[in-house]
Amino acid sequence: MKNPFRNRFSRWINRRIPRSDLQTFNQKNIFILPTGAGVVFGLLLVIMLLTGINYQNSLIYLSTFLLGAVFVGAMHQTHRNLSGLELALVQPGEGFAGDDIPFRFRLKAGRDDGIAILLSCEESGLAPVHVHSGRSEDVTLPVHSAHRGYLRPDRVRIETRFPFGLLKAWSWLRPVSAGVVFPRPVPAPEAFSTVEDGEESAEARSVEGNDHADIRPWREGDLSQRVLWKRFARTGQMVVADWEGEQGSPYWLDFNAYPGADHELRLSYLAYLVNERGRSGVRFGLNLPGQIIEPDSGPAHAARCLRVLATWGEERPRDAMAEPHGTRKKQRETTSQWVAEGQA
Amino acid sequence: MSFLDRLRGNESHEGTTTNLPSRALLWLIASFALLLSPQWDRLPLWLIAACAVLAAWRWLSQYGRVRLPGRLLRTGIMLVLIGVYVATVQGRFTVDTAASFFVLAVGLKWLETRSVRDFYVLFFILVYLATVNFLFHQEILWALVNFTGIALLLVGLQVLNAPELPGGMTSGWRRLGGMFLKTLPIVVLLFVFFPRMSPLWSVPLVSGEARTGISDTMRPGDISNLAQSSERAFRVTFGGEMPAYRDRYWRGLILDYLDGETWRQGQREGFRPLGRVAVDGGIGELEANQYDVLLEPTDQRWAFALENSRAISDNVFEDSADLFRFRRPADSPVRYRLALEEEVSATEAQSSAELRRYLQLPGEGNRRARELARELRRAMGDEQIIRSLLERFREQEYFYTLRPPAMPDDGIDSLLFDEKRGFCAHYAGATTFVLRAAGIPSRVVVGYQGGESGAGGNYLIVRQYDAHAWVEAYLDGRGWVRIDPTAAIAPDRIESGLRDAVAEEGSFLENNWASPQRYADVALVQWASLQLDRINYQWQRWVVGYQGQSQMDLMSRLPGGFGMRELGYMTAGIVGAGLLIAGLISALQMRRGERRDAFRRVVDTWHRLCASAGVPVRHGETPSVLASRLAKAEPAAADSARLFARMVNSHYYSAGKDDEGGEQLKRMRRLLATMKRQLRRSRTRTGKPSD
Repeated sequence: MKNPFRNRFSRWINRRIPRSDLQTFNQKNIFILPTGAGVVFGLLLVIMLLTGINYQNSLIYLSTFLLGAVFVGAMHQTHRNLSGLELALVQPGEGFAGDDIPFRFRLKAGRDDGIAILLSCEESGLAPVHVHSGRSEDVTLPVHSAHRGYLRPDRVRIETRFPFGLLKAWSWLRPVSAGVVFPRPVPAPEAFSTVEDGEESAEARSVEGNDHADIRPWREGDLSQRVLWKRFARTGQMVVADWEGEQGSPYWLDFNAYPGADHELRLSYLAYLVNERGRSGVRFGLNLPGQIIEPDSGPAHAARCLRVLATWGEERPRDAMAEPHGTRKKQRETTSQWVAEGQA
Repeated sequence: MSFLDRLRGNESHEGTTTNLPSRALLWLIASFALLLSPQWDRLPLWLIAACAVLAAWRWLSQYGRVRLPGRLLRTGIMLVLIGVYVATVQGRFTVDTAASFFVLAVGLKWLETRSVRDFYVLFFILVYLATVNFLFHQEILWALVNFTGIALLLVGLQVLNAPELPGGMTSGWRRLGGMFLKTLPIVVLLFVFFPRMSPLWSVPLVSGEARTGISDTMRPGDISNLAQSSERAFRVTFGGEMPAYRDRYWRGLILDYLDGETWRQGQREGFRPLGRVAVDGGIGELEANQYDVLLEPTDQRWAFALENSRAISDNVFEDSADLFRFRRPADSPVRYRLALEEEVSATEAQSSAELRRYLQLPGEGNRRARELARELRRAMGDEQIIRSLLERFREQEYFYTLRPPAMPDDGIDSLLFDEKRGFCAHYAGATTFVLRAAGIPSRVVVGYQGGESGAGGNYLIVRQYDAHAWVEAYLDGRGWVRIDPTAAIAPDRIESGLRDAVAEEGSFLENNWASPQRYADVALVQWASLQLDRINYQWQRWVVGYQGQSQMDLMSRLPGGFGMRELGYMTAGIVGAGLLIAGLISALQMRRGERRDAFRRVVDTWHRLCASAGVPVRHGETPSVLASRLAKAEPAAADSARLFARMVNSHYYSAGKDDEGGEQLKRMRRLLATMKRQLRRSRTRTGKPSD
């Protein structure tokens, strides 16, 4: 019942508020309605007016009109609280899937103070922020991520109920830029590398060095070659032999090292390994189908690898209507502050 | 909030600390205390104490000193308090008991004010409490208290909505003040033009509490109690000259039946259906013989009037015996208008059957007084009897006193022959007794006599201590004649009032320490109290009393017949115009704000420049994209355009630190000028038409 109407409404909103990383709020895009308390307040005014009429009490008339005027004044106040305010997405966040991704926004007040501004996106919201006239304020809004890839909140809601909470004025920012969600790290099984060291040598060695093997249960992603099939025939248990020195080159993390595993799972394994290697500071490279990152070390390299893992095979979200306020090139460092494009 | 809801809601956060900001709560409590104060005299003491305890409990729990009671305890408290309430009310339903219950509900609500929603519930209840207060108190000071209470609530709401805002309190007051000033014109216009409809249904404000004022029975000691009260009875403005002090007899009601010691009304006042009485007598210009009376609530239907008056405003009508009545008890201040007429010489003769009831006396008692009457009767005619009786009062040692001795048996006898000390009620009763015993139809009239002038000297204030009783006797050919024994005994009382009459005795307001009238000999006190009264009087006349008739009077002065319907249109128009004007102003401010923003102006100039170079800015386009398009179209200006775009970007994203001394802006302007030069040069070189 409600859905068709909802859809139409949201299409209408989307037409009204084009995608952009920067939104200045004004009459055209601020919506204002009484809150529940505001509706009750209206009823109270009606009751007061009836009391005034019935008891012919001028002072009750007067206070009714005064409170009515306060309500209208509050309407302006609430509207002005939002209008003139600029909301910019200055840095879309990065993080692992399933976590809250921090998006950094900048609020800049126009002529009027913006008091008790509430920023929210889907379920997550922030405590009220106050931005004084002419100042700006940075806030970080966590946006929940479900899976890896680009994360672009459809709408970031900005709302204020100041001063009396009887009315709410709200609008949306529909960001262009997207955050990057890394695959959720999953502890990776030992794997072959298909780069440099060939499969044969690995297999050969595995056959030879049976004695030094650790036996462990099979888990997804283990090569079928490494399953001890004899033992399987005997006991019905899939066990795998791990032995030292069996990996390929330690420098390469390889997408193809986990045949049989789901792509997303492989990416998760790789994310785990990137994290690990990044922490220990060893050199490593990343081999993805269609994308190879040369071995390097350091946190910046790790971040770059994670980003590649996150966006592998993903299309950067586009919207024909708009472009981002400052088009971001690939970021070089995780820790780097976002800089306006011209300076990059 | 449904009961179930409440149970469930409390279950979830039983005993947990609340998330209401303390400062907001403080404002709420302050407002509660303030809004209770106008009710102090009608609320039972235990209720005020209970409210104080409950609010304090809530306040202490805010700081974790005590815990809010659990559901069981809360229900217990509720039951106990409601039990006490039921026990004290004893089934009476009056406005007072209703108000008490309302206050009790607010008090109990304190224990469950945990969430923001509870805060709003209390906010609404307290606003309505202020409304209820206006029903009982309309003086300017109480009105200020009420409005202040509402303002506190509104500040509290602001604190609730922005708890961490530094300096939120001062800015809250400032915001509220600004809002008030900006909307004041609209509020005033609405107040003037909103059609004052007649009440939709009639709900009398029945108060269980006895009002100070004259009553419809008179025992000898009654009026002297009133003499201890300096409460205002009514105020009068005259269109012409004020009558002399001694002529200010305000007739209220007639007591013509003596029942033992007590004078009563012989006939119940005829039953009349409650009318929807207008409390407003109009504000048209007073003619020379007219006067306006603003009566304080009496809960009675009596309207006080000078002799020979005629009703002008339609909220009073003339009852029998030249008395005036309202159509419904005056439960709030009533203003009515009367006119004085030339003395009517031809009074309609009353039939002897009618007059007989003015000769009624109890079967026995007061033998000496009856004997006196017989003696007088034997020697003289009606007028002589009256004259000699007054003569007796004047010449013998009768005293006018607020401390009369107790006269339990045959009161009239002992007053006339033994004690000779009494108050107006004693003398009026005794005189009527003697006249009746002598066969002259007579009656006791109760009302007020006198009245001091208010500040500025253009109106009279009549107070309860001006209450008076006198006598009217029926003389053939002359009709009813006023006889005032008090005038014979204590001429001061009639010439200048009670204060002078009992000055020697020093008993004026002796039990009333708080009354400012008691200290009238201190000039400052007198001045202040009169000034306050004047302000209140104007307030009552023009603001409180601005009701249907006044509105019609005012509107009739405007060109074009203004009726209810026109007023309705007018109101709608005012609201519409108000909203429109406010909208226009805010739009204008926004426009001006944009224009004032120097940075935006520079960017606009740039956009114009781009447009003139054939690169009009597209919607939602970023500076850098625009710059690169411009660079493509005009390679000569490429560098400056890119630099400019970068400056625009860095302006947008420079956090918080504002442009020091406009350096950045100056640079941008210079850059723009360069760009303009470059474009011009390239255009002349390529011969590109400039459009």
